[in-house]
Amino acid sequence: MALVANAINVLGILFLSHAVYSAWEHSLLPSSSLPPSPSSILPQALDPKINLPLDIVLETLASVFFLCLGVVLSSPSLKPIQWSAWAGRLERCKEARKYTEFGVGGGNPYENLEERPGFLDIRGANRDFAEWIRHSKTT
Amino acid sequence: MIDEKELAIHPIVPDSVQHNARIVSNIRALTASLFGVAAGTLGLESLPGFIFYFFGTAIVSFFIYSLKADSKAESYFFSPMGDLWAGDMFGGLMSFVLTWTLFYGLCKA
Repeated sequence: MALVANAINVLGILFLSHAVYSAWEHSLLPSSSLPPSPSSILPQALDPKINLPLDIVLETLASVFFLCLGVVLSSPSLKPIQWSAWAGRLERCKEARKYTEFGVGGGNPYENLEERPGFLDIRGANRDFAEWIRHSKTT
Repeated sequence: MIDEKELAIHPIVPDSVQHNARIVSNIRALTASLFGVAAGTLGLESLPGFIFYFFGTAIVSFFIYSLKADSKAESYFFSPMGDLWAGDMFGGLMSFVLTWTLFYGLCKA
């Protein structure tokens, strides 16, 4: 897909530069300074007054159209904003399940809630410490 | 209607919202200058130039809607009307005018 998008972009840039160069060449002709005949359908304010041959106009419009298509196609893809869709895709895709560093990755955004250490047995730790002290005194 | 209860039942990911908004604004900035090049080359003046810009922006919105958002705008944008169809429409207007005047001057004067 990226290759197609890049090909469309390159084609669009080529045609656009050719069209702009043709328009510039056309502007050098002595006949190009004559005003175009006013449109019979459109009102005066909306008349585009294009003074170019039809092929240059069509080439400009088509190249811009293809460049828009290429720009949209070559941009990175959007991410779903619903948490369920986003997290579901995260758990399914393979590279997101890999742990990159501590607490990052694993595919489950709720992992730090699901796997928490339990409560510390403070009385047991106290007893063990007292035991250890008693042992070190006797030896 | 989006209210707090709806958001509590179906939460949204702020990272994705930001990412989508950035991509749409990038596309708009690029295509706005392209439309300026086309409008200047065609030699459009005043009102037809701006109409050309808004028409082109609508086409780009439709491209994003059909090619990038899989025709489901509400699953990629928090408010599809404001973020996709009208999003950054006036942000690209200044770059449009810039390249429009530049290429009009190059090809006409």
